Amino acid sequence: MIDTSFVGPFLPEIVLLAATLLVFLLDVLGVRRLEIAGAIGVVGVGVAFFLVAADLGFSPIAGFATIPSGQINVGGPTGLYAFTSLGLVFQLIFLTAAFLVGLASLSRPTGERGASIFYGLLTLATLGMLLVAIAADLIFLLLAIELTSISTYLLVAYTRKDGRSLEAAMKFYIVGALSTTLSFFGASLLFGAYGTTNLRAIAGMGSAGVPTLVLLGYGFLIAGLAFKVTLVPFHAWAVDVYDGAPTDVSAFLAGGTKKIGLFAFFLVFLGPILAVKASGASTLPFGTGPFNVGPVLQIALAAAAVLTMTVGNVLALLQKEMKRMLAYSSISQAGYMLIGVTVGTAPAIAGATLQIFAHVLMKGGAFLVVAAVAGVGVGPLITDWRGLGTRRPLLGVAFGLMLLSLAGVPLTIGFVSKFVLFSSAVEAQGWFVWLAVAGLLNSALSVFYYARVLKVMFFDVADPMPTTVPLAAAASSARLAFGGIGVGRAAAIALVAVVIVAVGIYPQLLLGPIQSAAQHFVNVGP
Amino acid sequence: MIIGVTGTRLRRFEYGGWIAVALSGAAMVVGVLIAFGEAMSPGNYTNVQITWFHVAGAPGTFPNGFTLVMGTLVDPISSLMLVVVTVVGFVVMLYSIGYMHHDKGLPRYYAELSLFLAAMNGLVISNNLIEFFLFWELVGLCSYFLIGFYYEKPSAASAAKEAFLVTRIGDIMFLLGIFLYFSHYATAGPNGGWAANGFVFVHGTTPFLAPSIRGSSTLITVAGIMILGGAAGKSAQFPLHVWLPDAMEGPTTVSALIHAATMVAAGVYLLAVASLFLGFTSFDSLVIVAIGGFTAFFAATMAVVHPDIKRVIAYSTISQLGYMVLAIGAGFAMVGLYHLFTHAFFKALLFLAAGSVIHALGTQDLFKMGGLKKPMKLTAAAFAIGGLALAGIPPFAGFWSKDDVLSSVYSQLGAHPAYWPFFVMAFAAVFLTAYYIFRAWFLAFSGDRIRDPTLPAAHEGPWVMQVPLVILSAFAVGAGLFVFLPGFQGLLLGGAGVAGIPPAYGTADVFLSAVSVLLAAGGIGLAALLWGNGRVFSLADSSVAQPLRRLLLHRYYFKVGYDWIGAKGVYTVSRAADFFDRYVIDGTVHGLERMFGAMSDRLRRMQSGLVSDYAAYIVAGLLGLFAILLVVAPFLIARFGGS
Repeated sequence: MIDTSFVGPFLPEIVLLAATLLVFLLDVLGVRRLEIAGAIGVVGVGVAFFLVAADLGFSPIAGFATIPSGQINVGGPTGLYAFTSLGLVFQLIFLTAAFLVGLASLSRPTGERGASIFYGLLTLATLGMLLVAIAADLIFLLLAIELTSISTYLLVAYTRKDGRSLEAAMKFYIVGALSTTLSFFGASLLFGAYGTTNLRAIAGMGSAGVPTLVLLGYGFLIAGLAFKVTLVPFHAWAVDVYDGAPTDVSAFLAGGTKKIGLFAFFLVFLGPILAVKASGASTLPFGTGPFNVGPVLQIALAAAAVLTMTVGNVLALLQKEMKRMLAYSSISQAGYMLIGVTVGTAPAIAGATLQIFAHVLMKGGAFLVVAAVAGVGVGPLITDWRGLGTRRPLLGVAFGLMLLSLAGVPLTIGFVSKFVLFSSAVEAQGWFVWLAVAGLLNSALSVFYYARVLKVMFFDVADPMPTTVPLAAAASSARLAFGGIGVGRAAAIALVAVVIVAVGIYPQLLLGPIQSAAQHFVNVGP
Repeated sequence: MIIGVTGTRLRRFEYGGWIAVALSGAAMVVGVLIAFGEAMSPGNYTNVQITWFHVAGAPGTFPNGFTLVMGTLVDPISSLMLVVVTVVGFVVMLYSIGYMHHDKGLPRYYAELSLFLAAMNGLVISNNLIEFFLFWELVGLCSYFLIGFYYEKPSAASAAKEAFLVTRIGDIMFLLGIFLYFSHYATAGPNGGWAANGFVFVHGTTPFLAPSIRGSSTLITVAGIMILGGAAGKSAQFPLHVWLPDAMEGPTTVSALIHAATMVAAGVYLLAVASLFLGFTSFDSLVIVAIGGFTAFFAATMAVVHPDIKRVIAYSTISQLGYMVLAIGAGFAMVGLYHLFTHAFFKALLFLAAGSVIHALGTQDLFKMGGLKKPMKLTAAAFAIGGLALAGIPPFAGFWSKDDVLSSVYSQLGAHPAYWPFFVMAFAAVFLTAYYIFRAWFLAFSGDRIRDPTLPAAHEGPWVMQVPLVILSAFAVGAGLFVFLPGFQGLLLGGAGVAGIPPAYGTADVFLSAVSVLLAAGGIGLAALLWGNGRVFSLADSSVAQPLRRLLLHRYYFKVGYDWIGAKGVYTVSRAADFFDRYVIDGTVHGLERMFGAMSDRLRRMQSGLVSDYAAYIVAGLLGLFAILLVVAPFLIARFGGS
């Protein structure tokens, strides 16, 4: 008799794997229709979402939970994986990104090749992301990241015809390979210092390693993971890739896969940072006695956070193309999220998590809108969006909401997340207050480039309506409903807009579960 | 109740302005009733709030996390402000029906104007700083829309942008101020401090003023300066005053609203609230006094020479706001608000009267006007009443409050000799104020004909424009006398019920009053002499200037003194001020713009798109990381200790 009890907890992952295999199998059998592949992908992601939500214990569906409750938030070193509430929250975040992109991509043009490849790779990448969220071992974590990365390299180039996409994929691949190398090198140095790759074990031995070896190891790990998170100066690839990739894929990269890097930051660096708060041992690497790496990491991460948000914002100011502006804004947002890791208290972790979720909605949604307006004949420049707010009011309002939320305007989710994040830095007192100040100043700066887009959309006089999409044809098929945008994409955009405002008005909806998850995370360790 | 009022206003997007008028009228009734109720039972604070969201805490400094609330607070100060906002709002709405009749985009106009008023009402009745800030931003946004209402006009668009940018600087400072105050008061104060009660200030019960809590730390001093910065941005105080004169590009009705009841009043209100409920350190107070006194004088000098009727009034607003700031800085927040109250009415009156002239003639140039008192009797009378109130001639409204401002500052001179120069400046501004406003009156209304014959024959506006002038004239005459009503005294005293805040009136010094009235009368006399009866006084034009000077020489025998002080001195200061305004401040703003531009450009060029270049950044990044991890961070920790 084979023991099947280990299957249950992994049901979400198994569902995604099955969806991936099914899509590829059908592709081999010659069934390549967008509708079929898309339905499998979206349903797979949806089912996984449902199961993870049940595991988290949302009351109406808690009965469907597949992880025995005794296996969540267990302390102490475990094996390769561990289920934590925060990990499950992140699984939901990742699945949200995949679901939105999958839903929107149902509206891609019919004649386009590679629909099945797209959905197969999407679910495969999502599988990797789910594994990242339950990783408890450095090597397991890096391999899960790699699974996602390789899927996304292919995803960028899935159309196979577009030269820009191919160039972007190539760049993405080269830079990604370098990043992987650096991460694994760092991991091997840490293994050399501690003799284990288990993250909790490493966190517990914060004071035992050889200081220089430990610091070099963490340095390479920061650098390697910084690629994924697009921290300055490891950000340069992101703009070219987001710009060159098909826009739906950009939405997935900026809204989805980038976040696994952030959760990896949580897992790798919060361990030592939290450990030092508990022990209070010496923090000097070259002194005598036990040594704690935590404060040193905090300073390095703080520097990276401030540098990233500032450079990202300043560069976003001068961009003329919408996608590049959004890409730089995405870089600067990574800086805000890093504040949460740096501060390392439960509220800070909750704030960063909420900010990450908000960013999935805002940035993912924004890229989906960009894809939508590109589909109805609007050019890549910001000035091409002139008058869009009056021409397509619903689309304009939805995009406006996303930008306002990115800017942190009240009554949107972006305000709540920034508020929680920055106030946690103030709560932590000491020099962390300056992180909040830097974040505030940067937010103020960012308002300028978001407001500029709003002005272009709503106040500038519109050009004559491009006539590439005959409206008569648009009304005839579901794919071209909503003036050529398509049902799937319109639904995804509407969903994002509604959630942005709903959470903005009633933040407790998400804040409660995230805060308790963050508290568990602090209690039991990564 | 107020939320209901605000809500109904927000909901209206219908076409006609009459709906807006009706709703703002209803709001006025409610606002006045609330104030009346408050006046009847001073010391009665109505505070209603709901929890918006709660942020969990961490063990240590903030075990209970903190809470954000949304609430409304009705107390003496906010009901006083409600009266100002709703009455002026209603009158301006009514006036708009006539004034904006020929413009397009009216639904947008009324919607934005209603939102503007609703935001201001919301700000006034906020019971916590975060909510206050939200409405504060909304007010700023609406003003941006309204100043840029004629957005096809490039100057209007750029003025709107300028207003937005400059006040943003103030907003950022305000936000930083909130942060700094929060980090200080987080656990100090009532109910375990702000961390627990959501930044709430409840008037009259706050203990934040207690010096033991307030302390005099550098942090609190800096926080006070930041709040001052926020108020200075909104209320156009030096050196953030640049946007206000240019904001004249909007419709005159909008100017009236911005100058009297909404935008600029928000800054003064913030300062008053901060001084009553947070407390300023003595250094902060000195800075506030300095900014207020200097602005009062500085802006008045600029008003002296300007040929544009609206800009003269705009500079006068800056100057009058300076008085309010001065009083608040000296510790008399209620005096500042009292002046805000009277100023709102006579300033709205002046603007609407000026609007009536502009409506009739289609020009804002004083030197093209003249002789308007015959065809536009009502307007001429209204402008004169507004001018007398502004100049501070008894019994008009401005006299009472301005006198209070001056005497309250005067009473502090003994304890704070450093206030002297700013008191003198404010005092000197009394003379200038009377002079420039009557210069405008004589230029526009006296004489027997319009100077520019190409202009159309003047006529009064329709009744919807005349009624507001009458209403506001009544207030401009009577608002100052309100202070003798027991209920109104209650309002001012109720706000002043907070420990340590001196009352808003009753400190008048007879000698001081006499001198200031004489100064004002002198200013009016000088204006009459130079500009009266259709004369145009010009230093350059000898045919007019020389006989006038001779006249002065023979009558008073202080030609030299006058020429120097009245002409050269003031004109030089004005020019210097204007120069400063144009080059130093504008230059700084543009310089910053260029600096960011250049920085952005440099960084953008680094983004070459070549993977090999990216490799170089990666090496640099790695080296930087190791430098931080191995050298900088250990050094910092060794120097300052761990986190």
